[in-house]
Order: sequence, then C-alpha cells, then structure tokens
Amino acid sequence: MEHQGFTVWFTGLSGAGKTALAMKLEEVLRERGLKVERLDGDIVRQSLTRDLGFSQEDRNMNIERVTFVAKLLTRNGVAVLCSFISPYRARRAKSRKEIGNFVEVFCKSSLDALIERDVKGLYKKALSGEIQNFTGVSDPYEEPENPEIVVETDKETIKESLDIIVRRLEELGYLPPAEAGNAYSDTEEAEVEERLRALGYI
Amino acid sequence: MSFLHKFRKPKSRRVVVIGLDGTPYTFFRKAMAGGYMPNLARLVKEGSFRRINSVYPTVSSVAWSSFMTGRNPGKHNIYGFIDRRPGSYKTYIPTSRTMKTDTLWEILSRAGKKVIVINVPVTYPPRPVNGILVGGFLSPNVDKAVYPPEKAALLKELGYIIDADPWAARQSKDRALAEVNAAFDARVKTMLHLMDNEPWDFFQMHVMETDRLYHFLWEQMDSDDPIYAPQFMAFIRKMDDMLGLVRDRLDDRTTLMMLSDHGFCTIKKEVYVNYWLEGQGWLKFQDSVPREKRKLEHLAPKARAYSLVPGRIYLHLHGREPQGRVAPGAEYESLREEIAAAALELSDPDTGERMIAQALKREEIYNGPHFEQAADLILVPFDGYDLKGGWGKETLTFKGDELVGMHTYDDAALYVRGQDLREGPIWVADPMPTILSLLGVPIPPNVDGQNLLR
Repeated sequence: MEHQGFTVWFTGLSGAGKTALAMKLEEVLRERGLKVERLDGDIVRQSLTRDLGFSQEDRNMNIERVTFVAKLLTRNGVAVLCSFISPYRARRAKSRKEIGNFVEVFCKSSLDALIERDVKGLYKKALSGEIQNFTGVSDPYEEPENPEIVVETDKETIKESLDIIVRRLEELGYLPPAEAGNAYSDTEEAEVEERLRALGYI
Repeated sequence: MSFLHKFRKPKSRRVVVIGLDGTPYTFFRKAMAGGYMPNLARLVKEGSFRRINSVYPTVSSVAWSSFMTGRNPGKHNIYGFIDRRPGSYKTYIPTSRTMKTDTLWEILSRAGKKVIVINVPVTYPPRPVNGILVGGFLSPNVDKAVYPPEKAALLKELGYIIDADPWAARQSKDRALAEVNAAFDARVKTMLHLMDNEPWDFFQMHVMETDRLYHFLWEQMDSDDPIYAPQFMAFIRKMDDMLGLVRDRLDDRTTLMMLSDHGFCTIKKEVYVNYWLEGQGWLKFQDSVPREKRKLEHLAPKARAYSLVPGRIYLHLHGREPQGRVAPGAEYESLREEIAAAALELSDPDTGERMIAQALKREEIYNGPHFEQAADLILVPFDGYDLKGGWGKETLTFKGDELVGMHTYDDAALYVRGQDLREGPIWVADPMPTILSLLGVPIPPNVDGQNLLR
C-alpha cells in the first residue's frame, strides 16, 4: 500500500498526556513500518523556538514554525507526531490547512485531575502565581470543536487511549492494519476454494 | 449559532452505489421493455444509463478491484479468483491483502467521509474504514467479514447471509432459486437497516445474487423455459423493487449510481484450455501423477505453458517458475506468438466455429508496478465459449447443465442519476474518480479511470 505522510496533532492542557501518548504511538507506527518524527513542545522550545515566550503572539509563532517543519515532513511521507498545548483554535485550524493530512487528537482532562496529579509541579507554581500565562490557570485554552479523535486521559488508561488513536488512524486510512497472518486458515481456504470450484471460477 | 451555521455550511453531497453483479446492459433494456423493471425505467428518465466495458480477464474479482481502485490490474494486483505464488507452483486465493492500492472507500475515509460498504468482491479480510465494511462472498463467515468487528452481532441479528451456497445451487434449479432469493432478501434487509440507521456519506451495496442466478439459470431465461424463466423474472422484479426502495430514500444531495461489472450470455461450451495446451505439446505433467489428480504443482520441467481460469496463459519461464525452461527474450516472444496464433485458430469440434476472439499480450492491456504478476497471454473467447483451466480433463469442450451462463466483456451497465455523462466509451474503472468528484474529494494520481462528469 502507498504510505503517505500525515501529522497527528496532540492538543490539550499541560500534563494531559500529549507527550506520553505520542511516544507510545511512535512505537506502534514504527512497528508498522512507518517513518516517524516526533515534535514536542518541551523539546522544540529548547532549539527551534528558544527565542519565544508564552504571550499569545509567541505561542502562535511557536506553532507556526513547528507547522512549517511538520508540513515538510508530512509531504515527504513521514508520520509526524506533534505534542503542543496549542491553545488557540484559529492557529490549529491554520496548521490543519497548511499540513493537509492532519489528525487532531484532543487530550481531554479536567483541570481538577491535572492539578491533583501535577506531575511536573507546574500547576502548583501557576496557582501560586510563580508562573505567569499558564494555560488553563491564567491563560485560555480553546477546546477543539471537531477533532478527529478525543481521548479522555483522566478516565482512560494510556493503553485505552492509544488503542482509540491507533484504530482511528486505521479507519482514516493512514495506518496499514497490523498483519494478522494469512487471510484464511487452511480449512477456511479449502472451504472457500470449494465454493469457487462450484462456481467454475477455479 | 446553529441557525447561522446552517447557512454557512451547506450539507455535503452523498453517493449511493448499487452493484448488480454481472447484469448486462442489454438485459436491463430488455427487462424494462418487458415491464419487469418499472423503477429502473423511471430512474433512467432521471439520469444517464450507459453500456460499459469490463476488464480482462472478465471476472468479478478483477472487475470490482478495478472499480474500487480506479486502476488496471497492473496497479491493483488482482488478476483472477486464483493466482500463483511467485517463485512456486502453489496457487492461492487473492484477497484484500493482495490488493496493492487504496480503495475508493479508504480514500473517502481519509477525507473524513463516513462510508458503508457491503459485500463487494475482494474486500475480505475487511480493511479498516471510517464507517462499516462487510466483506464479500469469499469471507469465511459473518464474524470475520465485518469491520468494525462489533457490528457482526447486528448483521447476524438481521439474518445476513454471506453468499448463496453454490454447491446446493448446483443440485437443482429450484435449490438455486431458493438460495439466491434467501441471500438477496437478507442482504436487502441489512442494506435498508444500515442505510436508515447508520451515518454515511458514501453507501455501497453489492448484489452477488444476480451473478449466481445468471450462472445457474441464464439459459432457462434466454430460452424462455416455461417453468424457470418466470421465476428468473420474478427475481428481476424483486431486484427492481429494491431499486425503488433505494430511490425512495434519495434526497436532493444524494446521487444514486448503479452498475454491473460484466455482462452475461448462455454457455455454448466450456473450453478446457489446459487440455488444448497439452494436445499441442506445450503442457506436460509429471508421469507419476494420475490424470484426475493433476494440479499446477505437478507440471513437468519440460512443460512450456499452462493456463489458469479464464484464459490466462503463463509460459513456463526460466527465472520465474522454479523449473521453467522457456528462455526470456526471443524464445519467450516466439512461443507466445505461436500459442496466440494457434489459439485464434481453435474451433468448436462440433460446429467448426472459432472459439477465441483475441489473444492479448499482457503489455497490451496492463501496466503498473504489479505488471509482472500478470499472465503472459490472455485469451478472450467469443461469447458462449467459457474458458476453463481443466488440469485433468479428457475432452476439449463440454456442455453441462448446472452452470449455464458465462461472463461477457462489453455489455456491463452504468447508471448515474441526475447527471449527463460525457460521451465516449466507459469502462469499469471510470466510476471511481467520478464518485470522488461527486463528493468533492481530490482524485489521486495514477488513477486509470476518467471522471465521467461533464
């Protein structure tokens, strides 16, 4: 089958599981023979966009540059996994348009669950005012209206969320199904052959 | 918001495709003229109805593969109901896993369209789609035929039948009619349920029962048999009722397409091509194998050619078949010429009529990355001479009474409602880009079919 590039765009609040899911998905895609590149907010901001801050303008510029890279990779047959809070709907829509083969995954989690879990300790700092412009606390997050995939990471296990994503990518035709051996068991093949023989087809 | 939304984003187009396997254009015309298909007659006034060509070889697996991919077999890799495993003498049944290109419904799925596809040949094992796919008649059972798998329970509840039992159908014409009617009724019930209760932008329902009815009873219809011709036409009326039920469900944003993949005619004789090749000295088997047990794997090293259904001739080529001795290049070309010339001379031993209309070299009809899997020579018979392989046969021809109808190339049909299709010849790969165009989805490169919309 013709492998074509596509971008899976994980959006959601900090700590909602975007990076964790992207890393798991990367393993699955590689097993299925796809070329994969992962672009992650935390990593990109240390190189490609290290000059940018967290104002709306800077956040949009961050996504604009990442989108440019994702577009180049996508058109060269790579499966690109982007995990960015990417809080603004209009900016995500622009990325979708520019990239083309775009699958938006909304990592949905209640703020309460995130504050309670607070893996990186960031919510505590945001709530105390130590960090400014923190999405969900002191900055807006605009939820996707029509994402291809919604995973509820405060209710599902990571395996459950991953299965939802993988299956949807198969349905959308981006991901070849896992090879489950032969199409028929030996007895099934013999039976189907008999049917074909009855019809004079073999 | 929702009020404004309604004006901003008009509801998108939808397409329904009804496949009536093997139903000839000329027969549709005849059935309408005879008053057996009033619903089709009404539809024909509302759209374009055209005679179209199939593919070579003219069998459903190849034709529907070209339909669903919009491509010739050199690109989709399906050349028949049976094929040889490369580098061996083993044969296998090609499936959806053998098909090497995206299907229409996979492209639509990727564009975010919801699809429902029922029973199209070569869709088993079901490849995932954005919606529901029920595999075709080569599915082993309902449980394995359905994507997503959890929909299998619903199909079983609806009494869905994968296919009429062909061995039962061979026992008698009455059994054949009972099998065909039961499978058709269950399929229509399932179709209506899914059409009415599941979301879809593209809906395709494939009727295999027509092909079965024609294989088992075409001659009876053709010769106006007093018992079976009326029962045959009763099925045709029922098929027309189904078209009426579909028509009732159409709205102004839904386009109906109906097509068949080949035509049909009465079999004069079955022709055993391997018997002929053997008689000409080109096909030889290992001496130790009894005639009735012969298969491809019993080919003798000195064999020079063999055939698979229908009329696909392979040279026993050095470097391709494990023990092949025909050298590529000059020897290959001259042997192919020799067989082609002899085939065109092949005549009915009883009447002297020529039996082979064309002997096509594969490069004349196929191109693409899977070209090498093709037969070297494809024999096209005159209507009435049904080409079979026949490893162990003891005669060149045979006239049976169980299978009485055979496929024809140039008498398939295409109907599209509400469209005036462009002029010129049409073949079975043309509907695919046409459907993409109707649904506003870009047509991929390397598609061989042409968009038929003006």
